[in-house]
Amino acid sequence: MTKRMVLPTLSAAAIAYALWLALDSSPDVFQGDFVRIMYVHVPSSWLAFLAFGVTALGSALWLWRKTIVWDRIAEASAEIGVIFTALAILTGAIWGEPVWGTYWDWGDARMASTALMLFVYLGYLALRRATPDPVARAKRSSILGLIAVVQVPLVYFSVSFWRTLHQGMTVRPDGIQMDGSMVAALLGGLAAFTLLYLALMVERVRLARIEDANTLSDGVAAGTAITAPDLDGIS
Amino acid sequence: MANLGLVAHFPCAPGVEFRVSSSARTDRRLSRTVNSSLVSLRGVGVRFGPTPVLTGIDLDLAHGEAIGVTGPNGAGKSTLLGVISTLLAPNEGSLELFGGPVQRRDLPQMRRNIGMSAHETGLYPELTLLENLQLVERLTGEVVMSAMQALEVVGLAGAAHRRSSATSAGMQRRTDLARLIMTRPQLILLDEAHAALDADARDIVDRLIHRTCEAGGGAVVVSHDRSVLARSLERIVEIRAGGLT
Amino acid sequence: MSGRSGFWTQALAIAKRDLLIESRGGEVFGVVLPFAAVAVFVVPLATDALATRLDQLAYPVYWLVGLLFGLQVALRQTGTETMIQRRTLALLGIDPAARFAGRSLAAALLMTGVMVAIAPLIVLFYDPRAIPAIGPSLLAVVGFAIGLSMLSTLAGDVTVGLRTRSSLAPLIVAPISVPLLIGASQTFESLILDRSTMAPALLLTVTVLSLAVTGVLTAPALEDATT
Repeated sequence: MTKRMVLPTLSAAAIAYALWLALDSSPDVFQGDFVRIMYVHVPSSWLAFLAFGVTALGSALWLWRKTIVWDRIAEASAEIGVIFTALAILTGAIWGEPVWGTYWDWGDARMASTALMLFVYLGYLALRRATPDPVARAKRSSILGLIAVVQVPLVYFSVSFWRTLHQGMTVRPDGIQMDGSMVAALLGGLAAFTLLYLALMVERVRLARIEDANTLSDGVAAGTAITAPDLDGIS
Repeated sequence: MANLGLVAHFPCAPGVEFRVSSSARTDRRLSRTVNSSLVSLRGVGVRFGPTPVLTGIDLDLAHGEAIGVTGPNGAGKSTLLGVISTLLAPNEGSLELFGGPVQRRDLPQMRRNIGMSAHETGLYPELTLLENLQLVERLTGEVVMSAMQALEVVGLAGAAHRRSSATSAGMQRRTDLARLIMTRPQLILLDEAHAALDADARDIVDRLIHRTCEAGGGAVVVSHDRSVLARSLERIVEIRAGGLT
Repeated sequence: MSGRSGFWTQALAIAKRDLLIESRGGEVFGVVLPFAAVAVFVVPLATDALATRLDQLAYPVYWLVGLLFGLQVALRQTGTETMIQRRTLALLGIDPAARFAGRSLAAALLMTGVMVAIAPLIVLFYDPRAIPAIGPSLLAVVGFAIGLSMLSTLAGDVTVGLRTRSSLAPLIVAPISVPLLIGASQTFESLILDRSTMAPALLLTVTVLSLAVTGVLTAPALEDATT
């Protein structure tokens, strides 16, 4: 196995194990087997928070050090975060229908604010696409990356501010309100998704390095593109 | 004609030693010796995306010196001005201004000593010529003459209350020059300064360069037309294919 | 001659500039405000006005119009600095944080004006069942306008010079503005229902302060990125 395959292999194994834990865990008293969607939904949400936090960190480090690798990390993490935010919303909707009787409830602050977080980072990626120069792109998006991270604690604490349909915080100061096998499945899912995140990050940053290398010019200065005109061609 | 006197050709003595000025901008003047350059570029390179625009630029501008920069379209002349103005950070090499390296914390102070005028003036169309300059006056608080006086110097006192959108390109350029006359930076950067100017206005440019050099400052004047530069500048360098010749 | 201008002198000069330009160009009160009024008017036309409880739509429409057209105010064409204007200000050594503060102040004043002007139209067309006390309501509107203006100024600066700016800047602002929207609208609701306004007012205040700190701290980096 090459070095490059280690992390993907580990994450695949971890996901397989987490899947087994999820299927083997006890069903919920009220939700029955529908609760197992939680083992994908919650790790997806966790991964989204992690990813956007790393984007903010990469942005801050780029602003400080001006080293391109930090910008690549910020970009890669935002892309992964957007995918897993969408997955969290999707699994949340699938989970909501049998349990709450609705795919989407506008009264639910966490659902709404998670969707907003998705839009914020879609805007971040749109800004990156709209800026052709790599240095200008890094500068502008690093600032937006720091501003956008405000959404992350807002999503997490929004449940505390509004009484909604959404499950309250499971991990509270007075203890964890879940069965042991469910806790194990949840923690397994969190660990597996974190490994998956690392594997995806390494690969995406590597791809970004290759993309940058491929866009290097032949070193010929811009001014040489302009030559003397052919005045005889003007009839 | 503006009351400047004609200046057809003047040498600027390089490396002039000067003392601290007694003008209102005393705190911004720096005492320098003959060995300290006003501007010093070493190995400066700039890329836009993957494409190099400037490569290996070495350039020194002494106190009291004016230098012309010429070259074909796309050679990197405006980019060079962007680097010297500190608005464009080079990808390689180093820039020293006023005898020291350019550091982020010193930028506002350094930039107050730099004045730039390009063919696009940046005047606010809805404001009058006078209001545009009064804004500069309020923002900096450090001027050697009032906005109205500056407009008088450039011969635009009669148009002071006209909106800049209702003035010609030449009048807007003169107003931009009035801004430099009003703020009197130590280093002047002029990009195609003589474009869209009549003979009187070109004299304003020449006199501004001359006075700035006389006071121990310096000027970098860019033009694609070497003959325009040769009228008033002794030292002219050319940029070709991103490098200085 | 006076000495170097301080932070607030520069900020107020920038704000005065923007307000003077608006007084001459009239884009906010001559174009954006009428457009906002049209929006307030046409929403009931998109529903069955006789069957729909328009009074329940009153305040949501008010805040939505405030958000969307407040954005228009901040990102208006006559209020947009060109790159050369930004460079000129940078070369005058203007404190970029003062520039941010001045621009935000002017935009906040203009936004407040638009929202105050729209309020009677909401009462006229939607007949809300209750109108909150004027004083606290105005505070909520002002807080909302200040926060939105700072956020829009930031978004405008981040996207300056880009061809997609007119659509990209609103995309950036809209989702991030939700805490402002929730704080202001829930303040209104609390006033109407005679509930404590502390929580939403606190949310609004914290958001506004966060944006102010963010704007001031990121201003130098944004100036580097966009001049």
